[in-house]
Parts: sequence; structure tokens; C-alpha cells
Amino acid sequence: MTLVGSDGPAPPALAPAPVASVVDLRVHFRSKAGIVHAVDGVSFDIADGETLGLVGETGCGKSVTARSFLRLVPMPPGIQAGGSILFRPHRTCETCSGNGCAVCHESGRVPDACATCEGAGCETCAGSGYLTVDLLEIPEQDLRTIRGNRIAMIFQDPGKALNPALSIRDQLAEVFYQHRSAELLAAAAIDGEAGGPAGTLIRRKAALRSRLLEDALLSLPPLRARRNKLRAAADDRIVAALAETQIPNPRKVMDRYPHELSGGMRQRVMIAQALACDPDLLIADEPTTALDVTVQARILELVRELQSRHRTSVLYISHDLSLVRRVCDRVAVMYAGRIAEVAPAEQIFSDPSHPYTRGLLAAIPATSHERGRLVAISGTVPELINPTPACRFAGRCPFEAPVCRALEPEPKPTRDGHQVACFIHHPPRDAADGVPTFDRQVR
Amino acid sequence: MQIRDYIIRRLMVLPLLVVGVSIIVFALTRIGGSPIGIYLSHEMSQEEVAELEERFHLDDPVPVQYFYWASGVLRGDLGWSGVAAAPVTDVFLPKLAATMELAVSSAIVAVVLGIALGTFAGARRNRLPDHLTRVFSISGAAMPLFWFAILLLIVFWVYLGWFPIGRSDPDLWARIDHPTNLYTVDSLIAGDFGAFRDAVWHLTLPAVTLGYGATAIIARMMRSSLVEELQEDYVDAARAKGLPERLVLRRHARRNALIPTVTVIGLSFGFLLQGSVVAEIIFQWPGLGRWMADSVLRGDQATIMAYVLFTSVLFLVVNLAVDVAYAYLDRRVVLGE
Repeated sequence: MTLVGSDGPAPPALAPAPVASVVDLRVHFRSKAGIVHAVDGVSFDIADGETLGLVGETGCGKSVTARSFLRLVPMPPGIQAGGSILFRPHRTCETCSGNGCAVCHESGRVPDACATCEGAGCETCAGSGYLTVDLLEIPEQDLRTIRGNRIAMIFQDPGKALNPALSIRDQLAEVFYQHRSAELLAAAAIDGEAGGPAGTLIRRKAALRSRLLEDALLSLPPLRARRNKLRAAADDRIVAALAETQIPNPRKVMDRYPHELSGGMRQRVMIAQALACDPDLLIADEPTTALDVTVQARILELVRELQSRHRTSVLYISHDLSLVRRVCDRVAVMYAGRIAEVAPAEQIFSDPSHPYTRGLLAAIPATSHERGRLVAISGTVPELINPTPACRFAGRCPFEAPVCRALEPEPKPTRDGHQVACFIHHPPRDAADGVPTFDRQVR
Repeated sequence: MQIRDYIIRRLMVLPLLVVGVSIIVFALTRIGGSPIGIYLSHEMSQEEVAELEERFHLDDPVPVQYFYWASGVLRGDLGWSGVAAAPVTDVFLPKLAATMELAVSSAIVAVVLGIALGTFAGARRNRLPDHLTRVFSISGAAMPLFWFAILLLIVFWVYLGWFPIGRSDPDLWARIDHPTNLYTVDSLIAGDFGAFRDAVWHLTLPAVTLGYGATAIIARMMRSSLVEELQEDYVDAARAKGLPERLVLRRHARRNALIPTVTVIGLSFGFLLQGSVVAEIIFQWPGLGRWMADSVLRGDQATIMAYVLFTSVLFLVVNLAVDVAYAYLDRRVVLGE
């Protein structure tokens, strides 16, 4: 059995597995002053179809975590110091052709079965029975088939993330040519198996492999018609992708250059580009930070709508808690390269457990605060150069106890779906005294 | 605005610029001395000098003299070259062809090699290929042209005897017709590969001399702007799309890195023309540069004016080409007009 769902019901071993799991990720940077532990033992899961928010202040390692998914952290100066990012690529559900049915749990997508154990659960698939790849380990070539195809990314500033020298059409077409070249050839009614130099040329063109001279040949009469058909096929897909992000007049926008579009339009183009291949996981790295507040709301709405339509899992990175509350199912709070707390979005806001999360929430300006006064967490973020084992929040924490300076708290579950890395909730066994409690302090 | 409209607009301004340039050229050469200086000698009487002045309209006001000259230029009459002992127009074209053959072949090599080297080095920043390219290009930019030329001459002509000097083997030159006066092109038209080989043979040393400096400058510029572009977000975004590194470099980073490089390429064309004077003298290349050097030394004003006017117009055209290339690479230029 190679295809899940095509041979009757899935075996019991195939319980839903997270689409991606970050396990003890460590990314360090070499600097003149020493090794900066930018991400230092981060673990979290992204369940299929959920939106996970990753929040934290600037420099806490959230962007580095996100970029690690696609190995976009430059090495050097970056060092992959350990951990893994397990990813389970999906494909369109055959039973419902992506419309959502019982087999695929209404998601329209099914994960591929593990090639080693054929769904029984083994070491390579971390016992899930699904095809599992470690994004940090797979060869560059395999990673490229995942980038932009199964995992896509939206960047913070669409003005910078779009190439100023290429038209919107050129930039979106690349995604289709790179990942959907066979489908494009089929849509253009070009025989993908056609022999002879002409067949080879057009196939190379469709796979972005053609060189300058080949392009010149393809622009000459006998081959030109075929090239134009291929282009038209790509154009149709580009228009469809743009239309989905509610860009007015996509056929016109296609011929524009990034500088001719507004910030909101550019971000829509980025989103269209990211969702072009219907990815399993969308990484949104502060997608609204560079935009006007009025545009922010609309982009946010769009991401949420597209997410529910495509049932894509989203890793939403932000420093803005109020935004995260509106889009995310679960929230992971990062502080100084570590996870402080993971919880369902509502719980984070109604019942924060980690002192840092509390501080963050208290710092959100609210109408109830006295006018002109802003609440801040006292102290500053620690230096991350060669840190000693201690709670990273020690020194700024109002509940600090001696143990916080001696040991490093690990995230552990407190109640349903809630994990906290704090000794208040998980007193270390051998240090019974000197454990911080909320009770000793006035809240 | 479309790029086509942009080019048309720029072309329409070109004649005005040429007129402006010609006035400056005329004024500057006039400051440099009397145009009949080359014909005068101590034995001539006052009357003879006055007669010459009248014949060349030197007794008229300077603006009128300009019109005489300008209308001559328009009719294709650039005056008489004392150095070549022939009308400037007759000598100019063959010599221009020789210089162009040299300058253009150096330019092609410099542009192709410079961009390739710069890309190669920039994509491998601070690794061995980058350091080697740096050594190559800094020595190219720092070495005086005349010294490098003499060095090549001594090593490859005097000692090794691998390459000849001059422009051609006289027998082979006489064997074919010369419709364009570009030896390489003429030999290809004639289908004479022996002559073609001879043409390339003779071209190599002066072209290398001339091209090295320009290659070095272009490679440096390309390398540094590529390094800068590779840090941009759109490069990561291109990688995030799943493009192979080859395409990230070629379709994304290099295209943008070419924008500043194109300016340098335009400027280096001036460097090539300037260098051609030295290269032509050292390698006995019968081009404009050598003729020009002789003319300056002997005060042959008609030739000087023709040469300066020509180079100025050439610069205007190169400048236009650079701007068009710029607009093609960076659409914001067209919009900003």
C-alpha cells in the first residue's frame, strides 16, 4: 500500500499527526563576542489545519525559527546546533478531489504514508505512519520540491520581498513553472512526452531550465505558438491565484511591477504567490507589520479566509498580541530563544500562566489604563551570548526564586493543551524550597 | 510610459546635445591656438599669412567661423589633415574602423568577462574564488596601461614571439577586399580563415591590454553590487519559492546587480577610447588614437576637432544606450521621468 485512503479506511496506526513538529531546535550565530544562542531548544507542533501563533518581542528568535523551516537562515554566520523540524507533506485527497470528505477529515488533503513502514509506524516517521521528512536534514534538491510547494512563506515587507525588476507575472509564473510544469504542459495541450528537440525545448522552458539561446529559439515562429500556449496556461493560473486574493482586475495587475502597486496590493500578490501551489503549511512572518493599520485588518481577514478555504496550516509570527488573538487557534509565546508558554489562544488571554505572558498582556495599552501611561516589563532582554543554564526570564520576573537562576525550566503541560516553562507550575523535585509561587507575591 | 516611448524621447533630444557639444568642441580647440598654425613657417610674409587667414575665414568673427566649420561638418567636410596629408574624412573612416575593432572587441570581452567574474566572486563571497578575483581585478585597475602594454609586448612579442604587433600580415591583408575595414569582419566576408586567424592574432595583445582594466572595474562593481543584492529579502523569497540557487542568482540577484554595473560599463567605454591611444602607439595599431596623438603634438586642429567631436557623439550614444539598458533593467526609471 502506498496511498492512504485508496485502499479502504486508514489503518488505526494512522491517527492524525501534526503537519509539522519542531523538536528541540537550536540555531546559534557566530559573532565577535561569542556564540549567540538565538534559538535554544524550541519545540512545538503544528496540527493539521490549525493556525499557530508564534509571538514574542523583537530578537526573541521567532523569525529565525520560521526561516529554519525552509533553511533560509544564512549559514555561516548561523550554526545549526541541533534539533529537527519534522514535516509531513500532503497531497490532494483522491476520494473527493480536494473538496473535503470523511477520508480526509474535510481537509481535502491527505498525508502520504511512510515509505519505510507503509503506515505501520516506525522510527523514520516518528511512529506516525506518515511520510515524515526532517527539513533540516534532507538534501537541498528535495527541500526545493517542498519550498513554495508544500511549505510557503509570506514575508514581512512585501515591498522588499518582491523583486523590483520583474513583473508580477514573471514572479508568479516561476512558482508554477518550478512546481507544476507537467500540469502546465497538459493544460496547454502540449504533449509532455513529445520527442525531438522541439519537445525537449518546450519541456525545458516549462521547467525553468531554458537558457538564453533556447529562449531565443522558442521566440521564433515554428516554436513560438507552443511557447505562447504554455504562457497562456501559466497566465490562467496566475490570474486565478491573484483573483483569489481579491485583487481587482488581476489580468492588468499581472503586467505591473511591484513599485506600481500599493503596500496592501503587494502583500496580496505575496499571498497569491504563497498559496499558488496550495501548500500544507503557510509561514506568515509578520505579514502585516509593514502595512497601514487599515490595510492590516483587510490582509488579516484575507489570510484567515483563505486559510479556512484551503484548510492550510499556518504558522503566524507576530509581536502583536491583539492580532494573534484574532487569527490563531493556539499561541506559542517565545522569550529569548525559548518557548515560554503554549496554549489555546483563548486561554493565553484569559488565563496566562507564564509571568512573561502576563507581562506582555499587561503591556497592551487598554482604555482602562490611565491616560498617557504605558505599562512595560521592567529590565531588558538578556544577552544570548553563551547563556548559563537558568530561566531566561530571571532578572525581570516578579516571582523570581533562587532556583530560577540555577536551573532551566522546560515547557511541561499544566492542563489540557497548555504548556508552560516555569517553576511556578513545575517545581523541580530536588529543590523543594526556594520555588517561586504566585501566592507569595501580590498579583 | 513604455520603454519604446522613452527611447524615442531620448533620441529626439540627441541632435540638440550634438549641437551643444560641437560648440564646446569648436570653442575649446580655438582656445588651443590658430588652426593654420600647422601651415605657418618663419619664411612666410605677413601678406601670405593674411591670405591664409582670409582663405580659412579667420578674419571673420568666431561665431561665423563656427558656422563655416559646422556647415562643413554637415556636408561631410572635416577639413584637411596636415599630419596625414589628406582630407580628414578620407583618413578618418579606415582609422576609425581599426580603433573600433580594437575597442569593441575589448569591450565585449570586458563586459562578458567582467560580469561573469563579478557574479562568480559575488556568489562566493569571502571564499577563495572571491579572493583570487579580487587580486586579479585590483591589479587590473591599479596597473598603468602603458606599463602593462609594454610588459605584454616584451614577454609575448620580444621573448616568446607568440603574438605579432601591428594590425595584419601585409600579404594576407592584400589578399582580401576590405569593404568594412574591420579586418576580422572583412576576412569572414571573404571566407578567408587564414586572414581571420591573422586578424585575431594581431588583435589579441592590444585587446587584452585595453580590456584588462575595464574587466577589472566591471568585475569589482558587479561583485559588490551582487553581494549587496544577495542580502535583499526578495532573494530569500525566491529561494522560498523553491527556485534552484542557479535561478535565484541568474533571474533575481544578478538582474538587479546589473543596474549599477551598467553605469560603470558605460563609463569604461571612455576608459577604452582613452586607453586606445596608448595601446595603439605601443602595438603599432594604425587607429585613430595614434593619429590623434601625432595631431595633438603637431597642432593639426582639423583632426583634433574631428576626433573630439566624434568621441563626444560616441559618448552621447553610449550614454543613451546605458540609460535604455537602465530603463530595461529597472522599470522605476521610466516611471520617474
